[in-house]
Amino acid sequence: MAIKNTPAAGSGRVPFIDPARADHGVCVGPGRQIPACDQRTLPGAMSQRSCAYYGARWFLAQLRQVLHLVHGPVSCAYYGETVRKKWYPVFSTDLTENEIIFGGEAKLLSALRELAARFPDHRALLVYVTCAPGITGDDVDRVCRRAERDTGMRCVPVHCPGFLGYHQAAGHEIGTRVFLEHFIGRGGPGEPGGPGEPGPRDINLLGEFDVMGDYRVIKGLFRRLGVNVVNAVTADASVESLARAHRVRLNLIHCRRTGGLLAEEMEDRYGIEYRKSSFFGLTETSASLRRLGEWLDCRAEAEALIAEGEAAVAGDLDRYRRELAGKRVGLFFGGSRLGSMLKGYRDLGLEVVAAGSQFGCQNDYREAWTGLNPGTALVDDANEEEVLRFIRQYRPDVIAGGTREKWLAHKFGVPFTVFPQESGPYAGYSGFLNFARDILAALKAPVWRIVKGESRN
Amino acid sequence: MSSIDEPIPIEGVTYRQLEIEKKPLTPGYVPRDPALVPKANRAAVVNPVRTCMPFGAMFAGLGMHRGLPFVQGAQGCTTYVRYTFCRIFQEPASIANASFHEDAAVFGGRKNFTEGIRNLVVRYKPRVVTVVTTCSSEIIGDDMASFVKVAKKRLVSELGPEDGNRVRLVLVSTPSFAGSHVAGYDRASRAFLETLAADHSRPNNRVNIIPGMLMPGDVREIKHLLAEMGVAAHVLFDISDVFDTPLMPPQTLPYYPEGGTRVEEVEDMANSMATFALCPNEGGLGARYLEQKFEIPAFAGPVPVGVRNTDLFLERLARVTGREAPKTLRDERGRLLDFMADTLHHTMMKKVALFGDPDLVTGLTRFVCELGMEPVAVLSGTQTKTFAADIEGLTGEFGHTPAVFNGSDLFEFEETLKTMPVEVLIGNSKGADIARELRIPLVRTGLFVYDRVGYQKRPVVGYRGGERLLADLVNAILDSSYPEERTQQL
Ligand code: SF4
Repeated sequence: MAIKNTPAAGSGRVPFIDPARADHGVCVGPGRQIPACDQRTLPGAMSQRSCAYYGARWFLAQLRQVLHLVHGPVSCAYYGETVRKKWYPVFSTDLTENEIIFGGEAKLLSALRELAARFPDHRALLVYVTCAPGITGDDVDRVCRRAERDTGMRCVPVHCPGFLGYHQAAGHEIGTRVFLEHFIGRGGPGEPGGPGEPGPRDINLLGEFDVMGDYRVIKGLFRRLGVNVVNAVTADASVESLARAHRVRLNLIHCRRTGGLLAEEMEDRYGIEYRKSSFFGLTETSASLRRLGEWLDCRAEAEALIAEGEAAVAGDLDRYRRELAGKRVGLFFGGSRLGSMLKGYRDLGLEVVAAGSQFGCQNDYREAWTGLNPGTALVDDANEEEVLRFIRQYRPDVIAGGTREKWLAHKFGVPFTVFPQESGPYAGYSGFLNFARDILAALKAPVWRIVKGESRN
Repeated sequence: MSSIDEPIPIEGVTYRQLEIEKKPLTPGYVPRDPALVPKANRAAVVNPVRTCMPFGAMFAGLGMHRGLPFVQGAQGCTTYVRYTFCRIFQEPASIANASFHEDAAVFGGRKNFTEGIRNLVVRYKPRVVTVVTTCSSEIIGDDMASFVKVAKKRLVSELGPEDGNRVRLVLVSTPSFAGSHVAGYDRASRAFLETLAADHSRPNNRVNIIPGMLMPGDVREIKHLLAEMGVAAHVLFDISDVFDTPLMPPQTLPYYPEGGTRVEEVEDMANSMATFALCPNEGGLGARYLEQKFEIPAFAGPVPVGVRNTDLFLERLARVTGREAPKTLRDERGRLLDFMADTLHHTMMKKVALFGDPDLVTGLTRFVCELGMEPVAVLSGTQTKTFAADIEGLTGEFGHTPAVFNGSDLFEFEETLKTMPVEVLIGNSKGADIARELRIPLVRTGLFVYDRVGYQKRPVVGYRGGERLLADLVNAILDSSYPEERTQQL
C-alpha cells in the first residue's frame, strides 16, 4: 500500500532529507538498503543528538546507593541534574581556570573525600569525566584508586567526555562497561556477589528506564507471572542488587541500544541467555508476555494474563481507534524504541508516514523496516530543518519525537507528542490507553482548528 | 499527600526520594557536617545556581534577528542548552553544533568549524552567526579568530561576495570553566558591538538598551516605558519576540521568529545618545565598550525593579533625552505605591531570603526592602566583584544586615536558612526543594523558572512589574499562612 499524496514515495529517495545526508534516509521498499546510521552528525546541522556524558547520565542516574560526582565545569552537572524527568542530587568539582591549567586532580580527591565523609551510608562514588578533564588529561583512575584507599568507599571513574563517539549511545555503552567492570557480581566483604543458584524465574530487565512509571507497570505484569526482577537497568538497580545480577535465568532486553551490549557481555561471561522484548503497544505486550511464558515455563499464567489485559482495555481502545484510524503520523524517536513503538501506532490504526531515530543502530532500523509499509520514509538523525520540510511536504496529522522539536512543530500548527513521555505510564495494557489518550488529546485540541480557521482569513 | 510514592507535582520528585535525600526539619533533624557547609570549605559544588558561559552567549545570539548560535564543541553542550530554553520558554531554540568528536579534540576543530559554518549558512541563510566556544575548543587551544576568518573566506568564495559577506560572524569566547552564563552574556554584548557597531557620523536620537537575561515580559515592559516616554531605542538581544512568539502558520522555511535585533540596529548603536545596560553584569561590558570607543555615556544598572530603581532609570532617561516622564507613568508609579500601602500589613517585617543571578537579586532585594520586608539571606550564584558591597550598602539604608553569599551554592544556602527564621523565599525553580523543606512559600522569578508556566511572559521590571511581583508575594504569603476564616479583613 503506497502512501497517499506523498511526494516521491516511489523513488526510494526521502524527499525531505538534506542532499548531503541522502543515504541517511530511504523510503521503505523491496531491494532497498536500510539508512546509513551510527555516523557523525553533519556539522552545522541542528541535530537532536547529545553527548556521551548525557548518555552516561541517562544510563546511570538512577543507580541507588551511589553518589554522582561530575568532574568538570559546573555546567555539565547543572544540566545532568534532571534526567528522565526526575531530579537527582549531583555534585560537581566545578573546575575553574586554575584547575584547567594546573590540573584538577587535587580538587577531585578532596571532593571525593568530602562526599564519602558526608554520605557514609552510600556504597560507591561515580566520577563522570567530562570534556574538560578529558582533554587536560587528569588521571582520574589514579585519583579514584587513591580515594578508595583513603575512604574505604568504592570510587568508580566513568570516562564519558562529550566528544567521545557520535551521540549519547556512546554513553550508554560506557555505563554498561562501568556496570560490568565494577558492579555486576561484585559485593563488598560479607555481601552477596559470589556464584549462587538463580531462582527459577529470576531475570534482569535491561534497557528500561522507568519513564513516568513505565517500570511499575511492567513489574506489575511480571509479578502476575511470578517473575522476579533482580535488576532493572536502570529503573531499579542498586549496588547491592547488581552484585547479584549474574545470578539470573534470563536477561530480558527492553531497549536494545542500552541493554544489548550488557546482555551480550553477560552471556559471554556468565552464560546467561538473553531475549529482546517490548511492552509498548498492545500486540507487543501480549507477544512479549507469551514468549516470556514459554521461556520461563508459565504458559498458562501468561495466557490468562494476556486475555485479562486485552479485555480490560478493549472497550476504551475501540473508541480511540475509531477516532485515530487513518491519521498520519511522523515518528522521530531517540534510539531503538522506534521498532517497538511503531507497532503501538499501528495497533491504533494510525498510518506511520515517516519514522526515524536519533541514534539507532542497524538492528534498530532493520526491526523498524519490517514494521513499516512500503513507501514510508525511514530516516536516521533527522535534523530540525528536515523535520520542518517533512511537515511541509507530508502534512502529518501528528508528530511524535523529542521535546526540542515540539515547540517548532507547534509554530507550524502541527500537534506533537513527546518521548520520553510527559505523562504516563505508556507501558503494558493500561499504559497503552494513556498512550492512545495522549495522542488523541494532542490531535483533537481545539486550538488547531482555531489556528487553521484564522490562517484562512 | 496520599502515598509517599506519589510524585510531587514539581519536577516529579517523590516523597520517598525526599525522605532518603533530605532530613526533614523536625526535632530529630541531624545537622550536616558544619565544616563542609560553607562552599569555601568544599571542593564539591552541591546544587549550583548557575550554568556555563556558552549558555549566556547562546541566549544573546538568539536575541538577534535571523541570528543563529553555532557551538564549537561536542553535541551535549548544544542539546542541553536547547533543552533548557525549551523548558523555560516552551519555544524552539535553533542552535547549530560543530559536531566536535574525538578527531577534533585531538587534531583541532578547524575542519569541522569551516564545514559546519558553511553548511549552516547555505541551509539557513542566517543574518548573523554567533560563534560560541566551549571548554573543549578552548582547552585544545584552537585559534578561533583565524578560523572565523577562514570560514568567512570560504563563504565568500563559495557563495559569492554578496551572500558571503552578508552573513556576519561574531566570535564570543566562552570557555565554560572561566565564568557563568552571566559572564557569557556579558562577553557576547561586547563581542557583538566590537564586531558590528560602526560609523559614528549621524546621531540617531536613540538610546541603546542591553536588557541582560531578563524575560520576554520584562523586555516588553521596558519597551512600554520607553514608548510612554517617547524615546526610540535599539534593544540589543531583543528576545521578546524570539522566546515568546505567536502561533500563526504557515511560515516559510527556514523558520525564524519575526523578532530579534537586526544587524543594522547593532551597527547603528554607535550613533546613540546613551547605553543602558539594565543588568550591570549582563551587558555592562558592551556598554562600556561603546563608551570607550565612541564616547557614548554608559549606565550600567541597577535593574529597574521596584520604585527607586525604576525612578532612577526614568530619571536618567529623561536627563539623556530631555524628555519628561508623562502623567501615564506617574500614574503607574502611583498605583504601585497605592498597592504597597494597601498591602503593607502583609509585607512589613516579613523575613525573606533571595537567590539567583546577581543583578536581578540586587534589584529584588531593594524592592523587598521598599516593601518593608527584611532580607535575612541573599545569594548570588555567580560571584561578582561588587555583589556583597552592593547588597550590604542597600540593605544598610533600610537598617537590615542579611547574610550575603557571593557565588555560593544552594546547599550552603539551605543549611544556613535552616538556622534562621525565614518566611518567604524569592528565587528560581531550583528553590522548590528548599521551600518544601523549610515549609515556606517560594516566589518564582528570574531566568530558570521551568516548573511553572507563564513566568517568562510577565514582567518584574517597571512599576507594573512591581505590582505583579507584589501581588505574587502577598498571594504566596496568603496561601501559606493566612487563616481562611478571616476573609473580611483581607
Ligand atoms: S559536550 Fe562535554 S562539556 Fe558539553 S555537556 Fe557534554 S560533557 Fe559536558
